Amino acid sequence: MFVARHIAADHKDLIHDVSFDFHGRRMATCSSDQSVKVWDKSESGDWHCTASWKTHSGSVWRVTWAHPEFGQVLASCSFDRTAAVWEEIVGESNDKLRGQSHWVKRTTLVDSRTSVTDVKFAPKHMGLMLATCSADGIVRIYEAPDVMNLSQWSLQHEISCKLSCSCISWNPSSSRAHSPMIAVGSDDSSPNAMAKVQIFEYNENTRKYTKAETLMTVTDPVHDIAFAPNLGRSFHILAIATKDVRIFTLKPVRKELTSSGGPTKFEIHIVAQFDNHNSQVWRVSWNITGTVLASSGDDGCVRLWKANYMDNWKCTGILKGNGSPVNGNSQQGNSNPSLGSNIPNLQNSLNGSSSGRKHS
Amino acid sequence: MEKMSRVTTALGGSALTGRTMHCHLDAPANAISVCRDAAQVVVAGRSIFKIYAIEDEQFVEKLNLRVGRKPSLNLSCADVVWHQMDENLLATAATNGVVVTWNLGRPSRNKQDQLFTEHKRTVNKVCFHPTEAHVLLSGSQDGFMKCFDLRRKDSVSTFSGQSESVRDVQFSIRDYFTFASTFENGNVQLWDIRRPDRCERMFTAHNGPVFCCDWHPEDRGWLATGGRDKMVKVWDMTTHRAKEVHCVQTIASVARVKWRPECRHHLATCSMMVDHNIYVWDVRRPFVPAAMFEEHRDVTTGIAWRHPHDPSFLLSGSKDSTLCQHLFRDASQPVERANPEGLCYGLFGDLAFAAKESLVSTESGRKPYAGDRRHPIFFKRKLDPAEPFVGLASSALSVFEMEPGSGSMSWFVDTAERYALAGRPLAELCDHNAKVARELGRNQVAQTWTMLRVIYSSPGLASAASLNHSVGKGSSCGLPLMNSFNLKDMAPGLGSETRLDRSKGDTRSDTVLLDSSTTLITNEDNEETEGSDVPADYLLGDVEGEEDELYLLDPEHAHPEEPEYVLPQEAFPLRHEIVDTPPGPEHLQDKADSPHVSGSEADAASLAPVDSSFSLISVSHALYDTRLPPDFFSALVCDMLRFYAEQGDVQMAVSVLIVLGERVRKDIDEQTQEHWYTSYIDLLQRFCLWNVSNQVVKLSTSRAISCLNQASTTLHVNCSHCKRPMSSRGWVCDRCHRCASMCAVCHHVVKGLFVWCQGCSHGGHLQHIMKWLEGSSHCPAGCGHLCEYS
Repeated sequence: MFVARHIAADHKDLIHDVSFDFHGRRMATCSSDQSVKVWDKSESGDWHCTASWKTHSGSVWRVTWAHPEFGQVLASCSFDRTAAVWEEIVGESNDKLRGQSHWVKRTTLVDSRTSVTDVKFAPKHMGLMLATCSADGIVRIYEAPDVMNLSQWSLQHEISCKLSCSCISWNPSSSRAHSPMIAVGSDDSSPNAMAKVQIFEYNENTRKYTKAETLMTVTDPVHDIAFAPNLGRSFHILAIATKDVRIFTLKPVRKELTSSGGPTKFEIHIVAQFDNHNSQVWRVSWNITGTVLASSGDDGCVRLWKANYMDNWKCTGILKGNGSPVNGNSQQGNSNPSLGSNIPNLQNSLNGSSSGRKHS
Repeated sequence: MEKMSRVTTALGGSALTGRTMHCHLDAPANAISVCRDAAQVVVAGRSIFKIYAIEDEQFVEKLNLRVGRKPSLNLSCADVVWHQMDENLLATAATNGVVVTWNLGRPSRNKQDQLFTEHKRTVNKVCFHPTEAHVLLSGSQDGFMKCFDLRRKDSVSTFSGQSESVRDVQFSIRDYFTFASTFENGNVQLWDIRRPDRCERMFTAHNGPVFCCDWHPEDRGWLATGGRDKMVKVWDMTTHRAKEVHCVQTIASVARVKWRPECRHHLATCSMMVDHNIYVWDVRRPFVPAAMFEEHRDVTTGIAWRHPHDPSFLLSGSKDSTLCQHLFRDASQPVERANPEGLCYGLFGDLAFAAKESLVSTESGRKPYAGDRRHPIFFKRKLDPAEPFVGLASSALSVFEMEPGSGSMSWFVDTAERYALAGRPLAELCDHNAKVARELGRNQVAQTWTMLRVIYSSPGLASAASLNHSVGKGSSCGLPLMNSFNLKDMAPGLGSETRLDRSKGDTRSDTVLLDSSTTLITNEDNEETEGSDVPADYLLGDVEGEEDELYLLDPEHAHPEEPEYVLPQEAFPLRHEIVDTPPGPEHLQDKADSPHVSGSEADAASLAPVDSSFSLISVSHALYDTRLPPDFFSALVCDMLRFYAEQGDVQMAVSVLIVLGERVRKDIDEQTQEHWYTSYIDLLQRFCLWNVSNQVVKLSTSRAISCLNQASTTLHVNCSHCKRPMSSRGWVCDRCHRCASMCAVCHHVVKGLFVWCQGCSHGGHLQHIMKWLEGSSHCPAGCGHLCEYS
């Protein structure tokens, strides 16, 4: 059962992104009001704003946390064509007394000539790396060669996507069998029906990112994209927020079968496609084990999706933005309309697939 | 339609029509100005000065005002302005400080009218009086503003700003005598044209230069200023002190600002550096531009609304040598593209959700659209100037938390903390973990552990357990005692069975049978129970004929137990191996006779052969113990582990991997194992389960994992007496020849945790000190200090 805890965010314009840190105890929000706020969870479970500062001179589209191994580090990207890296300063100051922490800008990445629409830290095993994408269709990958020095970032790769980029996602898999991979979505709304999702893979031999796949079936503007956490799967799962929610699986075709040296080939299957939001889907987010997908759309609802043991994806819960229960999901005849009875099912099915049979 | 009609009336009969278009200029533009008929535009630059007619489909060059053979600096324009009352009158500001007026009504090719060479440096701005035909104002880099009467040869009055260069001068539209000027140092001054001695009012508007200002066309008090500090500020000048009413933060320094006609709160800006776009802002929503024009490839230098009463046509000139007409409806609207929602899944299954308030709140009032699912609830709204402003957009932020009882990841934490992974026999580990899983309500996982235990734990224990299950299913031989999963029982089972056959009527066989099936079949056991040797011999040395019987027997006994199980078939090839072993034939004769005919004597006589067969038996046991189950089950178990991993329960995969150890390890490729380990460790670290994570690292056999804890950890030790670094020779200091950090209780060197009292600096092993303090609060070193430990 979910309990809605409303937070007076006090942002002066739209909030565009929310992000939990590695341990789930801190949260960062960013807004068009050009500020980023950091929220810390108290013992009682309340969220307190411990920092709020102006980060950019334009809308801040995204905010993301680095792995805590690198310190308390945030990256933000903005309409003002920059991305920035921020670090929390530990030390005695007056701020501490007021329960406020101090964040300083470590670097500004100014390579883009247009709005930077997404920023994501690479999985930890790749080191301290950062990817940005911008409206001019270029994905840039930066690396901090010295993890102790957050002000030095070198531009390692520039990948041209030909389309205005809106979102990126690293493949989080830590397996050596999976080379670094990044998926890029485009919100290009021009009428030509071009594929809006491209997947690039790092090639060890050429030391470059090359296009591995293009999801030809996704031709509508894509607003968000997310690889599921890969905890030991041999294949990858990719969720896409476009005019509906889509879930793809990408199974690497065995290397031996393909010509060595070239990019990995994937067997791509669409395993789910839901238009229950009845509108634009803006965000998709995976739970920590990569088993439940949450999506939010213009209907103001969050919907939860989970696969049963047959790999059939079903809606397992609907959350209303203001916390009220949602009725009238008539197309979901078999699913329980109220929250209370849905979530326990979710809980059960998380524990093991056998219980999944019960409500399949 | 409404707009059109309004435009029509405003223009006195001719509606403005046109499209988004551009034309190429010969040279970069510095400024543009529109004729009052809204049909012509003048473009001025360092080497261009032309008039274009704005037609429906294109710009048409009408007049080139740069005439004459040698280019004059007087023609290098920094600014141009077209008189809003007289269609023939233009003024330019030259970079050499000259102000030139142009009369298009002149019959000659050269339209130059007057030349004022009064400024010493570049004139940044010229401005005609909005209602007075002959009054021209100029502002220059030299810090002076001059007012000219075009009927006279020189300036009427000079205004000294006394504060660096003048960047902009603008006559107030409503106050006849007032003009505003902006300065390089961030000041804005308000002047009365009749009083050149001092300004009426001065205030600091920006950090750094104020590049531009614009009076609101309707609101007589409002002045917009733009500066290098990337801000546009709107000031209310009617109050005693200039009051900042709005502040727009743009992404680059603001070079031009122009109020949008007919839209009280809209203004257009462009930048002089970096940013080539033109933005239209609603000052009430100061963070997101309402519209954006992205046509220019270089800095936009001049912007002008085409008609003072038409909000939809914007003209612009740029350094990229183009002149553009922008239609408002073709503008891109960042507001519409901006993502109105943020969503993030938390570690504990909680969801943070931020959404535009209108999306969240209006929904509740709206009736569900169950019938028409295709109804587009979201369509691109046109920015209609007449549309009432809905107010500042804001988002509602909420976190959906799992209730404590149903916390979706608590099972993970509990399981991780309570699982036993090593340090006990396999069966106990499995039992313990099954119990943990069951207590947490994870029945499938519990079942899996139980099955693993049955599969892998040693036969004696397993059959003892399975005894309980199979009571009542008894048959004449030992086989019924076997659990269907428990192949290892085959060995003793068969052994006892053959024994049974061999020594019919022998009462001893029953007891032996029980013994062998309930105790561990190991070498020691075989030695102890002499009887087991005998059937073993028989088993090996039996003639071929009887083998078939055995084969037939086994399936018969096995099948009633678990008909669908295919184990027995799997077992037989192994038999062949044993039977086919070379030593067989030689010993056959001896053994066939020895145990049978003369009991103990034969034993002694055939000691060597018995030993050899004995070793064979133990080999066969070894084969059963380690090879058969993995051979048979490993594929299944591996599949199971993969299944768990794919279900997101990498915890189970890794736990089983660790518990089973060598039994399954070799059947799963190294990379997969490593992937599981890293994933699980990452998860554990997320939940701050450092101890468990360390245990997993320690127990892992993958080299890449186990070295995780060995990287970049160095221990430096200093001597506690002389404070010098200790050499590598141990715990005795080279210099002072004393043992470092002795425990005050046991007088041994403390190599691990050293705890000491900060008062007397004596201390020692944590356990020792704790124990000591239970009995006495004085220092164990005998210094008499009442030690305090926090």
